[in-house]
Amino acid sequence: MAVDVAKLKRDWTGFEFDRVEFPVSAEELTEFAAAVGETAPWFTDAGHPELRAVPNFAAKYHGRRMWPPDFPRLSKTSMGFDAGKRVEVHGPIRPGDVLVARSKIHDVYEKTGRSGSMIFLVHRMEFSNQRGELVSIVDWRFLQQPDPD
Amino acid sequence: MILDLHNHSIRSDDGKARVENYCQWIRRRGLPLDGLVLSEHRQFDGASDYRPLEDEFGLLILKASEVETDYGHVLVFGVNDDLLAAFDFARVDLPLELVLRQSERCGAFAVPCHPGRPNVGLFAHYEARGPVPGVTIVETLNGGSRAGENERSQAEAVRYGYRGVGGSDAHIVSHIGRCATRFEDDIRDADGLVKALRAGRFEAITWPSTSQS
Repeated sequence: MAVDVAKLKRDWTGFEFDRVEFPVSAEELTEFAAAVGETAPWFTDAGHPELRAVPNFAAKYHGRRMWPPDFPRLSKTSMGFDAGKRVEVHGPIRPGDVLVARSKIHDVYEKTGRSGSMIFLVHRMEFSNQRGELVSIVDWRFLQQPDPD
Repeated sequence: MILDLHNHSIRSDDGKARVENYCQWIRRRGLPLDGLVLSEHRQFDGASDYRPLEDEFGLLILKASEVETDYGHVLVFGVNDDLLAAFDFARVDLPLELVLRQSERCGAFAVPCHPGRPNVGLFAHYEARGPVPGVTIVETLNGGSRAGENERSQAEAVRYGYRGVGGSDAHIVSHIGRCATRFEDDIRDADGLVKALRAGRFEAITWPSTSQS
């Protein structure tokens, strides 16, 4: 099944399709820090006066939708897989914050590799705090291999 | 001089290494490189200015591109405005003949990379479609090759009479310097690299302790 990547990008990128709020607790911050092996007390000690999230903390969140409603399925046979996340840190996340996550498809692109054609869908979640300050951007790359013609 | 001709920085979608970290790694590990070439996927990074890093680390840092063609992936050295206008670097189905012809016309030089690799290597396509006129140099040593791929590249290059260059195809810092190219000429810039490739005075090299294959 040939996929028109340029059309896919034109039709589906750039608009918000999901918005979710995530209250942040001290326990979540310290548990995540411990899970990724952090040892600094401002990441791991719930009582620390400067407690904050480790830089990749926002990558743990998922919205209510992975893709916009009616987003076309690119393969009849393959579900695709997670091709990694990239986190941009713009500000601190602290206990008591309420994060607002807005989701959109940021990019669609194609590349070729040993196994053939690959289409990458980049799901972007932008996180702002309760003051409207951007604190984190998480780009989740999802790899889909189209069906052979 | 020795240049690692094939590397990716964070400007590529799958690159994890900052150019500064490549430079630090080269110096701290004492790698015998005089410079590196950044060949970002499906684009030419015209914006980044690496001259301060060149001065700080005493390395030549050149920019190139890795484009995707109907005969596999191709390194393009000496990219300039004329070449950027000649075809869309982002496409994954560029005709190799077009890339070769336009590179020649614009004063650049195109080198099919990892040609022994399935699907995205030149020789995989030669099996079904035959050789492409205009290819004279291929990457016979690629640091990201799996077992057997470089051997195939070297054997087929001999068969078709192609010269060979080497590059690490590094995407992470510790992979730089796996393969490289030793030039007889002193190269100062991208035009000098193109000139040296055209002159043919070079050889692909690798170091057994650092190469994958």
